[in-house]
Amino acid sequence: MSETAGRTLLRRPAFSVTEAFGGFRLWWLVLPAFLFFLAFFLVPLVSLLAISFNKTVPGVMTLTTAFTLDNFERIFTRSIYYRSILRSIGIGIVVAAIALVLGYPLAFLIAKTEHPGRNTLLMILVLSSMQLDMVIRMYGLMVLMGDTGLINSALIWSGLIHEPLPLMYNTFGVVVGLVQVTLPFMVLSLIGIIRAIHPSLEEAARSLGATRAEAFRQIVLPLSMPGILAGSLLVFALSISSYVVPALMGGWKVVVLPIHIYQQIAESGRWQFGAAVAAVLFVTSLIAVFVYHRAAVWTSGGRT
Amino acid sequence: MRDEAAVSLLFKAVAMLTLVVLLLPVVIVVLAGLNAGDYLTFPPKGLSLRWVVAFLGSATFMSAYVYSFVLALVATLISTVIGTLASLYLSRSRSGAAAALRGFFMLPVVLPGVVLGLALYIFYVTTDIGLARTFAGLLIGHVLVTCPFVIATVTASMVGFDLSLEEAARSLGASPWTAFRKITLRLIAPGISAGAIFAFIVSFGQFETTLFLTVPNHEPLPMAMYISLRYKFEPTAAAAGIFAIALVALSTVVSSRLVSLRRVFRA
Repeated sequence: MSETAGRTLLRRPAFSVTEAFGGFRLWWLVLPAFLFFLAFFLVPLVSLLAISFNKTVPGVMTLTTAFTLDNFERIFTRSIYYRSILRSIGIGIVVAAIALVLGYPLAFLIAKTEHPGRNTLLMILVLSSMQLDMVIRMYGLMVLMGDTGLINSALIWSGLIHEPLPLMYNTFGVVVGLVQVTLPFMVLSLIGIIRAIHPSLEEAARSLGATRAEAFRQIVLPLSMPGILAGSLLVFALSISSYVVPALMGGWKVVVLPIHIYQQIAESGRWQFGAAVAAVLFVTSLIAVFVYHRAAVWTSGGRT
Repeated sequence: MRDEAAVSLLFKAVAMLTLVVLLLPVVIVVLAGLNAGDYLTFPPKGLSLRWVVAFLGSATFMSAYVYSFVLALVATLISTVIGTLASLYLSRSRSGAAAALRGFFMLPVVLPGVVLGLALYIFYVTTDIGLARTFAGLLIGHVLVTCPFVIATVTASMVGFDLSLEEAARSLGASPWTAFRKITLRLIAPGISAGAIFAFIVSFGQFETTLFLTVPNHEPLPMAMYISLRYKFEPTAAAAGIFAIALVALSTVVSSRLVSLRRVFRA
């Protein structure tokens, strides 16, 4: 602190507004938020992790110091549990891949749109669809994809099919729902990195005889890698964390980790075991986010 | 030349498809809420306001809407105050602690919402501090998930802020508080407003964190819609959705006037 203050003082001899703030120390400003996060974020998370190492007693929730690995042993040895981990991860990977294929062209279009009005309009469309309540969007998808939904009734009405297609209450429905929910995050992760690629690089390739497709594959795509990695990992982390999409679009038939957590707690009152499943989910998504940061730093570091 | 001509036809086609994927569910909710029949069918039966009227008089959805609105308002107020104060520190301090704290404050966004809600619920029950299944307990969860949005928006709006403006005011005799209020606060006010708007939307649409924290018989709107959706497609819920969609669209347009959306979302 004193070293920073000293440096600031050297640069701004007359008035130092950076470290002292109206007689207060500057760090006093961060104290309310920090204490709030400490009490209601860090401590609860640690107690969640702690209780996941307690023996599971249905209907009882008290934290004891008798720690055991029982819950985790159960998760990784019973197929019903480790299969749901694999199912979550598999769905996350598929969703990230589809979101990338669908999201990249839109991000590219937004990055290359110079017209300010059109650019803002596209940004607003992406952002409002990101921020709108997921349940509302799932309502729309369910009306579209159900057995008596718009797609099936239109196909039957036109005579193309006679039995409704199974679009929902299965893994397909969950994947469609998750892609819908995570697409805006993919698009936003990509726009910045695509904009940062200097157009002259692509033009140089074109002037040397490359077709537009070649220039894209050889120049633009490799330079977009940090954004592609970042966006995919973010989408993966969001997909494995979602409860509401698998619950509605999967109709409880696609049992992924968040559904397990809820069932353990709301239906069996097995708090310690539910906490252990939550810890596994938390650590998995933390790893994805950590790799996301490392990958972004490493790839952009290697580029410049 | 950097314009739309640089984008190939294939990319434009996929981009349009993506926009359809993003927006079609929203359009369908609006149509379902304005449709004349008992539920939305193909071909549609025509338009009517009967479900909007039903929503306005509905005990379930109207009270859920109001409950969500109040919850979001209080959560926004708290997270805007503590988030703005924290942002002032984060954008001015050059210490390593500030960088670490910035990452720490962003954690609730990446933590699965169900896990956060469960952690809070277990914490409330094991410590027996009387917050389990109460408005205050739910509010705490909402402040945690909205605060990162305030901090991201306000710190983004302070990038490029010239501290010498504040120093100039002070060298002309203004007290530190006056200099801050008359110079800095005015310049970052759009950023704070945009941060508050984002916080409001995030809280208003929050489902995952709410799951374990809901007060019995007082469901916020997303929870009420979720419960009804598990049984049938009530057009009244879609009508409630129309009002939520209008709120979000309006808020995003307003915030795009206040701050650079690109800068906030690092895009």
